[in-house]
Amino acid sequence: MRVLLGNVALAFAALAAALFALSSGAIAIPVDAVLAALAGRGDPGIIQIVTDLRLPRVATAIIAGSALGIAGVLMQALFRNPMADAWSLGLTAGGQLGVALLVTAAAFAGPSAIAALRALEGLSITAGAMVGIAVFALVMASLARRVGTVTLLVVGLMLGFTVQGIVSVVIHFANRVGGRVFSGWNDGNFASVTPADLPMLAAPVAVGVVLALVSAKPLTALLLGETYAKSLGTDVTRLRRLTLTAVVLLVAPVTAFCGPVTFIGLIVPHFARAIAGSARILPLLSLAGLSGALLALAADIVVHAPWEQHFLHLNAVLALVGAPVVIALLIFSPSMRGQR
Amino acid sequence: MLRLSSLSVGYSGARGRVLGGLDVGVAPGSFVCVLGRNGAGKSTLMRTLAALQPALGGAALLDDEDIAAMRPRTRARRVAVVLTERAASPGLSVDDVVSLGRQPFTGWQGRLSSDDRAQVAAALAVSGASAFAGRLFDDLSDGERQRVMIARAIAQAPRLMILDEITAFLDLPGRVETMALLREHARATGAIVLLSSHDLDLSLQLADSVWLLDGTGGLAVGPSAELIASGRIGAAFDTLSVRFSAALGRFELVA
Repeated sequence: MRVLLGNVALAFAALAAALFALSSGAIAIPVDAVLAALAGRGDPGIIQIVTDLRLPRVATAIIAGSALGIAGVLMQALFRNPMADAWSLGLTAGGQLGVALLVTAAAFAGPSAIAALRALEGLSITAGAMVGIAVFALVMASLARRVGTVTLLVVGLMLGFTVQGIVSVVIHFANRVGGRVFSGWNDGNFASVTPADLPMLAAPVAVGVVLALVSAKPLTALLLGETYAKSLGTDVTRLRRLTLTAVVLLVAPVTAFCGPVTFIGLIVPHFARAIAGSARILPLLSLAGLSGALLALAADIVVHAPWEQHFLHLNAVLALVGAPVVIALLIFSPSMRGQR
Repeated sequence: MLRLSSLSVGYSGARGRVLGGLDVGVAPGSFVCVLGRNGAGKSTLMRTLAALQPALGGAALLDDEDIAAMRPRTRARRVAVVLTERAASPGLSVDDVVSLGRQPFTGWQGRLSSDDRAQVAAALAVSGASAFAGRLFDDLSDGERQRVMIARAIAQAPRLMILDEITAFLDLPGRVETMALLREHARATGAIVLLSSHDLDLSLQLADSVWLLDGTGGLAVGPSAELIASGRIGAAFDTLSVRFSAALGRFELVA
């Protein structure tokens, strides 16, 4: 009941946020004009702004936010760590590194490789991010079995810094065109996705969501620990592989197209659990998907509000909301207190 | 019917074989206590029987089927496990935890049928955990948690229950109650209950049969009275300063 109510409320809130995001911006468009434009009626200029400029951005925010929220639920269950998230464990950094290496390799291979890279920009950077994230996910998953919760997080954050360093060195050697493919990417952004890119963002995420649904039941058993999960008939090795695949499919396209989006995957699962009143995974997936979309939309609205002159970065806005939540969790959450 | 057929348990590494050549049969409905000193191999044996670690040789057969060779889901429907390790599970309620016992029987969503619900409620009642069904698992005391884990195992409706030193955190009344309810459960359902314990007195009183690990790789099986009379309990547990008195049925200090 709580889950159903929560889903309905979140869906309405996300819808309202989406409409608001479509109507607000440098040129304010009334909501009824937005609805008319979506239906293809009204001033062609307005239709163009709504469907060509704002709709892809809003759709991207919804897809990216849900994907990161769902991936956060999966990772917190798999790592049995309330702070686990693609960003905090350094997976997004792995994606960055993958893309940077790909761009540099193309730059060294010559102009034709760069041309091919630019022609297949969406596919190639998604592939680059996927490989990078998959490698980092495997490393962190094996590390997670040896070290404690907090150690793992610190390692993840340090991996992030290490990658920042490597990336800036690597990009230095890529030529200007390659650099441009990469530039602006680090701040996180929902606005750079074109309508043509959307299917490439949505398709892997959709597959990831299906895998997340399939892994929900055994992941709930894993909440009791590996031994109990095994005794309940869970093939833990297979589950780990399945869940990590889902995480890569959910996080890699988002990282590839939107850059390293922080905090959503970390804090959204906590909202979802608070709404559901339970850590059972399956109900959390829809709740986390919707609250992730809502948070992403809200952050995007703030970023694209008609500011006088300066421009806000998405990750700066997310950090303003996310970092205090994380600090509160570290201090007050019973499961983290046990880690001292 | 549980049958160990020349079962050897242990590790491939330096520790090597812990127990070897075990041939034992257990009738349905038996409450069996596994006794032995620390390091005698109780946990290794229990984990091997539950197929949580591979046997070094031989097999454990449940109703003529090799437990280790069963498919994971099939095994989960027949064998339930409760371990010493303190289970912690942030965010799961007691009801959620016990419901997990039905997981081997549910579809991909894990949705419980009304029959599953009834089994969960019955398991909570049998193990005396109904009173805190709505609370968060992590908020419970050690004794309450152990009851919940037992309820979860009972909800699994297993033919074989393997419980490894689960009474370690409990006070004396808690231990007596726990062991009595498990014995009652075995009687009522025909399930075999294997319980390893350091509670020599209680185990010897309550067990239908005792598996005594002597600490040198040997296993003696029999009713308590027989093992006491033959002096095997003493042989397994006596030290320079403590010895088991067959006459008193308990330990005494060597004067």
